[in-house]
Amino acid sequence: METIKEKLDETPFQTAGPFVHIGCMPNAIKINKIYQNDLGEIPFKNKQENELITIEGSVFDGNSFALDDVMIETWQCDEKGQFNGDNGFARIIPDNLTKKFKLKTVKPGSYKGFDGKTHSPHVSLSISARGLNMTLNTRVYFEDDELKNDPLLSILSSNNVNSLIAKKIKKNSYLFDIFLQGDKETIFLDI
Amino acid sequence: MNAKSLIKRNYEKHPKIDFPDYKSSIFRAPKNRKISFPSSNTEIIGPIFNKNIIGKLDNDLTLNFSRNKISPLGHKIIVYGTVSDQFTNPIEGALIEIWQANAAGKYLHDKDENPAPIDPNFAGCGRCLTSSSGYYEFLTIQPGPYPYPNRGIEWRPMHIHFSIFGKSFGQRLITQMYFEGDPLIKLCPMVNSIGNEKAKNSLIGVLDTSRSNTQNLLSYKFDIVLRGIKQTYFENRKEGL
Repeated sequence: METIKEKLDETPFQTAGPFVHIGCMPNAIKINKIYQNDLGEIPFKNKQENELITIEGSVFDGNSFALDDVMIETWQCDEKGQFNGDNGFARIIPDNLTKKFKLKTVKPGSYKGFDGKTHSPHVSLSISARGLNMTLNTRVYFEDDELKNDPLLSILSSNNVNSLIAKKIKKNSYLFDIFLQGDKETIFLDI
Repeated sequence: MNAKSLIKRNYEKHPKIDFPDYKSSIFRAPKNRKISFPSSNTEIIGPIFNKNIIGKLDNDLTLNFSRNKISPLGHKIIVYGTVSDQFTNPIEGALIEIWQANAAGKYLHDKDENPAPIDPNFAGCGRCLTSSSGYYEFLTIQPGPYPYPNRGIEWRPMHIHFSIFGKSFGQRLITQMYFEGDPLIKLCPMVNSIGNEKAKNSLIGVLDTSRSNTQNLLSYKFDIVLRGIKQTYFENRKEGL
Protein backbone atom coordinates (compact mmCIF):
# COMPACT_ATOMS: atom_id res chain seq x y z
CA MET A 1 0.00 0.00 0.00
CA GLU A 2 0.97 3.60 -0.59
CA THR A 3 2.64 5.04 2.50
CA ILE A 4 3.34 8.63 1.45
CA LYS A 5 1.14 10.95 3.47
CA GLU A 6 -0.31 14.11 1.96
CA LYS A 7 1.22 17.33 3.27
CA LEU A 8 -1.42 19.92 2.41
CA ASP A 9 -5.17 20.27 2.92
CA GLU A 10 -7.34 20.60 -0.15
CA THR A 11 -8.54 24.19 -0.63
CA PRO A 12 -12.09 24.41 0.76
CA PHE A 13 -15.09 24.79 -1.50
CA GLN A 14 -17.37 27.82 -1.57
CA THR A 15 -20.66 28.11 -3.37
CA ALA A 16 -20.58 28.88 -7.09
CA GLY A 17 -23.40 31.36 -6.38
CA PRO A 18 -26.06 32.59 -8.81
CA PHE A 19 -23.66 34.17 -11.29
CA VAL A 20 -21.53 31.14 -12.19
CA HIS A 21 -22.45 31.66 -15.85
CA ILE A 22 -20.29 34.78 -16.08
CA GLY A 23 -17.17 32.75 -15.46
CA CYS A 24 -18.06 29.39 -16.95
CA MET A 25 -20.64 30.00 -19.69
CA PRO A 26 -20.49 33.70 -20.60
CA ASN A 27 -21.89 33.24 -24.10
CA ALA A 28 -24.96 31.53 -22.63
CA ILE A 29 -25.85 34.82 -20.91
CA LYS A 30 -24.91 36.97 -23.91
CA ILE A 31 -21.45 38.02 -22.82
CA ASN A 32 -20.27 37.27 -26.32
CA LYS A 33 -17.08 39.09 -26.99
CA ILE A 34 -14.65 37.39 -24.63
CA TYR A 35 -14.55 33.68 -25.53
CA GLN A 36 -15.36 32.40 -29.01
CA ASN A 37 -17.28 29.45 -27.56
CA ASP A 38 -18.29 28.41 -24.11
CA LEU A 39 -16.27 25.50 -22.80
CA GLY A 40 -18.23 22.25 -22.99
CA GLU A 41 -20.76 23.57 -25.50
CA ILE A 42 -20.72 20.17 -27.18
CA PRO A 43 -19.18 17.10 -25.55
CA PHE A 44 -17.97 15.39 -28.73
CA LYS A 45 -17.12 17.18 -31.94
CA ASN A 46 -17.84 15.83 -35.42
CA LYS A 47 -20.74 13.60 -34.46
CA GLN A 48 -23.86 13.17 -36.55
CA GLU A 49 -27.29 13.73 -35.03
CA ASN A 50 -28.18 10.03 -35.39
CA GLU A 51 -25.14 9.03 -33.28
CA LEU A 52 -26.37 11.04 -30.31
CA ILE A 53 -28.61 10.37 -27.35
CA THR A 54 -30.45 12.96 -25.28
CA ILE A 55 -30.54 13.05 -21.50
CA GLU A 56 -32.99 15.57 -20.15
CA GLY A 57 -34.49 16.46 -16.82
CA SER A 58 -34.79 19.07 -14.10
CA VAL A 59 -33.08 19.74 -10.80
CA PHE A 60 -35.70 20.07 -8.06
CA ASP A 61 -35.24 21.75 -4.68
CA GLY A 62 -37.00 20.81 -1.42
CA ASN A 63 -40.10 22.79 -2.47
CA SER A 64 -40.31 20.89 -5.76
CA PHE A 65 -39.31 23.99 -7.68
CA ALA A 66 -37.10 23.32 -10.68
CA LEU A 67 -33.85 25.32 -10.50
CA ASP A 68 -32.97 27.61 -13.37
CA ASP A 69 -29.67 28.91 -11.99
CA VAL A 70 -27.88 25.57 -11.72
CA MET A 71 -24.86 24.57 -13.82
CA ILE A 72 -24.35 20.88 -14.52
CA GLU A 73 -21.02 19.62 -15.78
CA THR A 74 -20.91 16.21 -17.36
CA TRP A 75 -17.92 13.93 -17.98
CA GLN A 76 -17.87 10.56 -19.68
CA CYS A 77 -15.94 8.23 -21.93
CA ASP A 78 -16.73 7.75 -25.61
CA GLU A 79 -18.76 4.89 -27.10
CA LYS A 80 -15.69 2.64 -26.93
CA GLY A 81 -15.05 3.29 -23.23
CA GLN A 82 -12.07 5.59 -23.88
CA PHE A 83 -11.29 8.89 -22.14
CA ASN A 84 -9.47 11.39 -24.28
CA GLY A 85 -8.56 15.06 -23.63
CA ASP A 86 -11.70 17.06 -22.99
CA ASN A 87 -13.87 14.97 -25.32
CA GLY A 88 -16.89 13.99 -23.28
CA PHE A 89 -16.95 17.15 -21.16
CA ALA A 90 -20.06 19.33 -21.33
CA ARG A 91 -21.70 22.14 -19.42
CA ILE A 92 -25.46 22.54 -19.44
CA ILE A 93 -28.00 24.85 -17.83
CA PRO A 94 -31.78 24.53 -17.73
CA ASP A 95 -33.89 26.33 -20.28
CA ASN A 96 -35.35 29.54 -18.81
CA LEU A 97 -38.93 28.61 -19.63
CA THR A 98 -39.14 24.84 -19.30
CA LYS A 99 -36.50 24.62 -16.50
CA LYS A 100 -35.23 21.46 -18.18
CA PHE A 101 -31.63 20.73 -19.04
CA LYS A 102 -30.80 18.74 -22.11
CA LEU A 103 -27.53 16.95 -22.81
CA LYS A 104 -26.89 15.70 -26.32
CA THR A 105 -24.01 13.29 -26.31
CA VAL A 106 -22.84 9.88 -27.45
CA LYS A 107 -23.93 6.94 -25.37
CA PRO A 108 -20.84 6.05 -23.31
CA GLY A 109 -19.44 2.55 -23.55
CA SER A 110 -18.64 0.32 -20.62
CA TYR A 111 -15.02 0.07 -19.56
CA LYS A 112 -12.75 -2.14 -17.53
CA GLY A 113 -11.63 -0.07 -14.54
CA PHE A 114 -8.37 0.10 -12.60
CA ASP A 115 -9.99 -2.44 -10.32
CA GLY A 116 -10.25 -4.94 -13.16
CA LYS A 117 -14.05 -4.82 -13.00
CA THR A 118 -16.42 -3.85 -15.77
CA HIS A 119 -18.16 -0.54 -15.17
CA SER A 120 -21.57 -0.12 -16.81
CA PRO A 121 -21.99 2.89 -19.12
CA HIS A 122 -22.44 6.07 -17.11
CA VAL A 123 -22.09 9.83 -17.27
CA SER A 124 -20.62 11.59 -14.26
CA LEU A 125 -22.27 14.84 -13.13
CA SER A 126 -21.00 17.76 -11.09
CA ILE A 127 -23.75 20.13 -9.94
CA SER A 128 -23.12 23.72 -8.85
CA ALA A 129 -25.59 26.40 -7.80
CA ARG A 130 -26.46 29.12 -5.35
CA GLY A 131 -27.29 27.44 -2.03
CA LEU A 132 -24.86 24.57 -2.61
CA ASN A 133 -21.78 25.17 -0.48
CA MET A 134 -20.03 22.34 -2.28
CA THR A 135 -20.40 20.94 -5.76
CA LEU A 136 -22.52 17.76 -5.77
CA ASN A 137 -21.49 14.66 -7.67
CA THR A 138 -23.66 11.92 -9.02
CA ARG A 139 -23.85 9.52 -11.97
CA VAL A 140 -26.38 8.76 -14.68
CA TYR A 141 -26.80 5.11 -15.73
CA PHE A 142 -29.19 3.90 -18.44
CA GLU A 143 -32.10 1.55 -17.77
CA ASP A 144 -31.59 -0.47 -20.94
CA ASP A 145 -28.02 -1.47 -20.01
CA GLU A 146 -26.71 -4.43 -18.05
CA LEU A 147 -26.32 -2.88 -14.58
CA LYS A 148 -26.17 -5.81 -12.18
CA ASN A 149 -22.40 -6.06 -11.90
CA ASP A 150 -21.52 -2.39 -11.89
CA PRO A 151 -19.11 -1.79 -8.95
CA LEU A 152 -20.93 1.32 -7.72
CA LEU A 153 -24.52 0.17 -8.21
CA SER A 154 -23.81 -3.15 -6.56
CA ILE A 155 -22.99 -1.46 -3.23
CA LEU A 156 -26.26 0.51 -3.22
CA SER A 157 -29.68 -0.57 -1.99
CA SER A 158 -32.28 -1.04 -4.74
CA ASN A 159 -34.05 2.23 -3.85
CA ASN A 160 -30.80 4.11 -4.15
CA VAL A 161 -29.90 2.40 -7.39
CA ASN A 162 -33.10 3.70 -8.96
CA SER A 163 -32.19 7.32 -8.30
CA LEU A 164 -29.14 6.94 -10.57
CA ILE A 165 -30.88 5.30 -13.53
CA ALA A 166 -32.17 7.35 -16.44
CA LYS A 167 -35.53 6.17 -17.83
CA LYS A 168 -35.80 5.58 -21.53
CA ILE A 169 -38.63 7.77 -22.86
CA LYS A 170 -38.18 7.07 -26.55
CA LYS A 171 -35.50 5.92 -28.93
CA ASN A 172 -32.16 7.52 -27.98
CA SER A 173 -33.85 9.67 -25.38
CA TYR A 174 -33.64 9.43 -21.59
CA LEU A 175 -35.16 11.22 -18.61
CA PHE A 176 -33.05 11.92 -15.53
CA ASP A 177 -34.49 14.21 -12.87
CA ILE A 178 -32.35 15.25 -9.92
CA PHE A 179 -33.90 15.78 -6.48
CA LEU A 180 -31.84 17.79 -4.01
CA GLN A 181 -34.13 16.93 -1.07
CA GLY A 182 -37.24 14.98 -0.09
CA ASP A 183 -38.44 11.38 -0.45
CA LYS A 184 -36.83 11.07 -3.84
CA GLU A 185 -33.52 12.70 -2.89
CA THR A 186 -30.90 11.66 -5.43
CA ILE A 187 -27.89 9.71 -4.26
CA PHE A 188 -24.87 12.00 -4.20
CA LEU A 189 -21.41 10.60 -4.25
CA ASP A 190 -18.23 11.17 -2.29
CA ILE A 191 -16.03 10.56 -5.33
CA MET B 1 -2.90 -4.52 -9.91
CA ASN B 2 -1.86 -0.89 -9.71
CA ALA B 3 -4.63 1.65 -9.51
CA LYS B 4 -4.92 5.34 -8.92
CA SER B 5 -7.15 6.73 -6.26
CA LEU B 6 -8.01 10.20 -5.02
CA ILE B 7 -7.19 11.04 -1.42
CA LYS B 8 -10.47 11.03 0.49
CA ARG B 9 -11.92 14.44 1.18
CA ASN B 10 -11.66 15.74 4.73
CA TYR B 11 -15.13 17.22 5.16
CA GLU B 12 -14.08 18.85 8.46
CA LYS B 13 -12.13 21.32 6.36
CA HIS B 14 -14.91 22.07 3.87
CA PRO B 15 -18.14 24.02 4.29
CA LYS B 16 -21.16 22.36 5.82
CA ILE B 17 -23.64 21.61 3.07
CA ASP B 18 -26.67 22.14 5.28
CA PHE B 19 -25.99 25.55 6.83
CA PRO B 20 -29.22 27.52 7.50
CA ASP B 21 -27.37 30.81 8.17
CA TYR B 22 -26.95 30.79 4.39
CA LYS B 23 -30.64 30.81 3.58
CA SER B 24 -30.38 29.51 0.03
CA SER B 25 -29.01 26.24 1.40
CA ILE B 26 -32.20 25.47 3.34
CA PHE B 27 -34.17 24.02 0.43
CA ARG B 28 -31.22 23.04 -1.71
CA ALA B 29 -28.75 21.20 0.51
CA PRO B 30 -29.21 17.41 0.32
CA LYS B 31 -29.92 15.77 3.68
CA ASN B 32 -28.60 12.27 3.15
CA ARG B 33 -25.05 11.09 3.61
CA LYS B 34 -22.94 10.87 0.48
CA ILE B 35 -21.98 7.41 -0.72
CA SER B 36 -18.25 6.70 -0.92
CA PHE B 37 -16.78 4.33 -3.45
CA PRO B 38 -13.33 3.65 -4.87
CA SER B 39 -12.14 6.03 -7.62
CA SER B 40 -12.63 4.67 -11.10
CA ASN B 41 -11.48 5.86 -14.51
CA THR B 42 -14.24 8.49 -14.75
CA GLU B 43 -13.04 10.22 -11.58
CA ILE B 44 -9.32 9.93 -12.38
CA ILE B 45 -8.80 10.45 -16.13
CA GLY B 46 -9.43 14.00 -17.32
CA PRO B 47 -10.88 16.17 -18.64
CA ILE B 48 -7.67 17.81 -19.83
CA PHE B 49 -8.04 21.15 -21.60
CA ASN B 50 -5.95 22.20 -24.56
CA LYS B 51 -3.82 25.38 -24.61
CA ASN B 52 -5.46 26.51 -27.84
CA ILE B 53 -8.72 27.38 -26.06
CA ILE B 54 -7.01 30.27 -24.27
CA GLY B 55 -7.03 33.68 -25.96
CA LYS B 56 -4.40 36.37 -25.42
CA LEU B 57 -6.57 38.59 -23.21
CA ASP B 58 -8.41 35.82 -21.38
CA ASN B 59 -6.51 36.50 -18.13
CA ASP B 60 -6.64 40.30 -18.48
CA LEU B 61 -10.06 41.38 -17.20
CA THR B 62 -9.08 45.03 -17.54
CA LEU B 63 -8.95 44.67 -21.33
CA ASN B 64 -10.97 41.61 -22.37
CA PHE B 65 -14.28 43.47 -22.38
CA SER B 66 -13.16 47.08 -22.70
CA ARG B 67 -14.20 49.30 -25.58
CA ASN B 68 -11.32 51.12 -27.24
CA LYS B 69 -8.97 50.00 -24.46
CA ILE B 70 -10.74 52.14 -21.88
CA SER B 71 -9.93 50.84 -18.41
CA PRO B 72 -12.76 49.66 -16.21
CA LEU B 73 -13.36 51.77 -13.09
CA GLY B 74 -11.61 50.81 -9.87
CA HIS B 75 -8.03 50.09 -8.95
CA LYS B 76 -6.11 47.43 -10.77
CA ILE B 77 -4.93 44.34 -8.99
CA ILE B 78 -2.92 41.26 -9.85
CA VAL B 79 -4.12 38.00 -8.40
CA TYR B 80 -1.58 35.22 -8.70
CA GLY B 81 -0.47 31.98 -7.14
CA THR B 82 0.18 28.34 -7.79
CA VAL B 83 -2.00 25.29 -8.14
CA SER B 84 -0.52 22.20 -6.52
CA ASP B 85 -1.79 18.87 -5.24
CA GLN B 86 -1.82 17.74 -1.62
CA PHE B 87 1.68 16.28 -2.05
CA THR B 88 2.94 19.80 -3.00
CA ASN B 89 3.46 18.79 -6.65
CA PRO B 90 2.67 21.72 -8.96
CA ILE B 91 -0.13 21.01 -11.44
CA GLU B 92 0.61 22.11 -14.98
CA GLY B 93 -2.26 22.88 -17.35
CA ALA B 94 -4.87 23.34 -14.62
CA LEU B 95 -7.75 25.39 -15.97
CA ILE B 96 -8.71 28.34 -13.78
CA GLU B 97 -11.84 30.32 -14.59
CA ILE B 98 -12.77 33.35 -12.50
CA TRP B 99 -15.77 35.64 -12.20
CA GLN B 100 -16.38 38.69 -10.08
CA ALA B 101 -18.39 41.86 -9.49
CA ASN B 102 -17.16 45.22 -10.79
CA ALA B 103 -15.74 47.99 -8.60
CA ALA B 104 -19.27 49.00 -7.57
CA GLY B 105 -20.16 45.46 -6.48
CA LYS B 106 -22.37 44.76 -9.53
CA TYR B 107 -22.29 41.63 -11.70
CA LEU B 108 -22.95 41.75 -15.41
CA HIS B 109 -25.88 39.38 -15.02
CA ASP B 110 -29.66 39.75 -15.46
CA LYS B 111 -30.32 38.16 -12.09
CA ASP B 112 -28.19 40.63 -10.11
CA GLU B 113 -30.69 42.85 -8.31
CA ASN B 114 -28.12 45.06 -6.59
CA PRO B 115 -28.99 48.66 -7.59
CA ALA B 116 -25.39 49.54 -8.46
CA PRO B 117 -24.11 50.59 -11.90
CA ILE B 118 -22.69 48.19 -14.43
CA ASP B 119 -19.37 49.12 -15.98
CA PRO B 120 -19.56 49.01 -19.80
CA ASN B 121 -15.87 48.09 -19.92
CA PHE B 122 -15.94 45.22 -17.48
CA ALA B 123 -17.51 41.76 -17.69
CA GLY B 124 -15.70 40.18 -14.73
CA CYS B 125 -14.83 36.99 -16.59
CA GLY B 126 -11.37 35.47 -17.12
CA ARG B 127 -9.48 32.21 -17.48
CA CYS B 128 -6.01 30.75 -17.88
CA LEU B 129 -4.06 27.50 -17.76
CA THR B 130 -1.29 27.09 -15.20
CA SER B 131 2.36 26.97 -16.32
CA SER B 132 4.74 24.03 -15.80
CA SER B 133 5.37 25.30 -12.27
CA GLY B 134 1.63 25.50 -11.57
CA TYR B 135 1.70 29.31 -11.75
CA TYR B 136 -1.29 31.46 -12.73
CA GLU B 137 -1.91 35.18 -12.88
CA PHE B 138 -4.86 37.48 -13.56
CA LEU B 139 -4.90 41.22 -14.10
CA THR B 140 -8.23 42.63 -12.95
CA ILE B 141 -9.78 45.36 -10.80
CA GLN B 142 -10.69 45.23 -7.13
CA PRO B 143 -14.25 43.85 -6.88
CA GLY B 144 -16.57 45.83 -4.59
CA PRO B 145 -18.51 44.35 -1.67
CA TYR B 146 -22.27 44.19 -2.22
CA PRO B 147 -25.57 43.75 -0.39
CA TYR B 148 -27.73 40.68 -0.96
CA PRO B 149 -30.87 39.28 0.64
CA ASN B 150 -30.16 36.61 3.24
CA ARG B 151 -31.28 37.18 6.85
CA GLY B 152 -32.47 40.64 5.85
CA ILE B 153 -29.81 42.51 3.92
CA GLU B 154 -26.28 41.21 4.37
CA TRP B 155 -23.04 42.18 2.68
CA ARG B 156 -20.72 39.88 0.83
CA PRO B 157 -17.05 40.57 1.46
CA MET B 158 -15.02 41.45 -1.62
CA HIS B 159 -14.32 38.21 -3.45
CA ILE B 160 -13.42 36.54 -6.70
CA HIS B 161 -15.01 33.20 -7.66
CA PHE B 162 -12.60 30.49 -8.80
CA SER B 163 -13.39 27.34 -10.77
CA ILE B 164 -10.48 24.91 -11.14
CA PHE B 165 -9.92 21.73 -13.11
CA GLY B 166 -6.73 19.76 -12.43
CA LYS B 167 -6.08 16.44 -14.14
CA SER B 168 -9.08 14.56 -12.79
CA PHE B 169 -12.82 15.11 -12.60
CA GLY B 170 -12.50 14.17 -8.93
CA GLN B 171 -10.15 17.13 -8.34
CA ARG B 172 -12.76 19.59 -9.55
CA LEU B 173 -12.97 22.58 -7.19
CA ILE B 174 -15.15 25.68 -7.06
CA THR B 175 -14.30 28.26 -4.42
CA GLN B 176 -13.92 31.97 -3.68
CA MET B 177 -10.92 34.11 -2.81
CA TYR B 178 -11.31 36.88 -0.24
CA PHE B 179 -9.07 39.87 0.41
CA GLU B 180 -6.79 40.25 3.43
CA GLY B 181 -8.09 42.74 5.96
CA ASP B 182 -11.71 42.88 4.76
CA PRO B 183 -13.88 43.28 7.90
CA LEU B 184 -16.85 41.63 6.14
CA ILE B 185 -15.12 38.24 5.92
CA LYS B 186 -15.86 37.26 9.50
CA LEU B 187 -19.54 38.24 9.13
CA CYS B 188 -20.15 36.17 6.00
CA PRO B 189 -22.28 33.03 6.44
CA MET B 190 -20.78 31.45 3.33
CA VAL B 191 -17.30 31.83 4.80
CA ASN B 192 -18.55 30.69 8.20
CA SER B 193 -20.07 27.55 6.76
CA ILE B 194 -16.46 26.33 7.06
CA GLY B 195 -15.96 25.41 10.71
CA ASN B 196 -12.19 25.03 10.66
CA GLU B 197 -10.34 28.36 11.15
CA LYS B 198 -7.23 27.36 9.25
CA ALA B 199 -9.31 26.20 6.30
CA LYS B 200 -11.28 29.45 6.36
CA ASN B 201 -8.09 31.52 6.38
CA SER B 202 -6.71 29.60 3.42
CA LEU B 203 -9.31 31.36 1.25
CA ILE B 204 -7.89 34.80 1.97
CA GLY B 205 -5.63 36.27 -0.70
CA VAL B 206 -2.59 37.80 0.98
CA LEU B 207 -1.37 41.27 0.04
CA ASP B 208 2.07 40.97 -1.52
CA THR B 209 3.70 44.23 -0.46
CA SER B 210 7.01 43.74 -2.25
CA ARG B 211 5.33 43.19 -5.59
CA SER B 212 2.72 45.91 -5.00
CA ASN B 213 5.47 48.42 -4.33
CA THR B 214 7.25 47.86 -7.61
CA GLN B 215 4.21 48.11 -9.87
CA ASN B 216 1.26 50.46 -10.08
CA LEU B 217 -0.93 47.61 -8.95
CA LEU B 218 -1.84 45.93 -5.72
CA SER B 219 -0.91 42.26 -5.75
CA TYR B 220 -2.65 39.42 -3.96
CA LYS B 221 -1.30 35.89 -3.66
CA PHE B 222 -3.74 32.98 -3.53
CA ASP B 223 -2.39 29.44 -3.69
CA ILE B 224 -4.76 26.60 -4.49
CA VAL B 225 -4.46 22.96 -3.45
CA LEU B 226 -6.30 20.19 -5.29
CA ARG B 227 -6.74 16.64 -4.08
CA GLY B 228 -3.77 14.31 -4.32
CA ILE B 229 -3.88 11.13 -6.36
CA LYS B 230 -2.22 8.01 -4.99
CA GLN B 231 -0.92 4.97 -6.78
CA THR B 232 -2.29 2.08 -4.84
CA TYR B 233 -1.97 -1.62 -5.06
CA PHE B 234 -5.48 -2.91 -5.53
CA GLU B 235 -6.30 -6.09 -3.71
CA ASN B 236 -8.96 -8.26 -5.27
CA ARG B 237 -11.51 -7.82 -2.56
CA LYS B 238 -15.07 -8.95 -2.53
CA GLU B 239 -17.46 -6.56 -4.22
CA GLY B 240 -18.59 -3.74 -1.98
CA LEU B 241 -15.99 -4.13 0.74
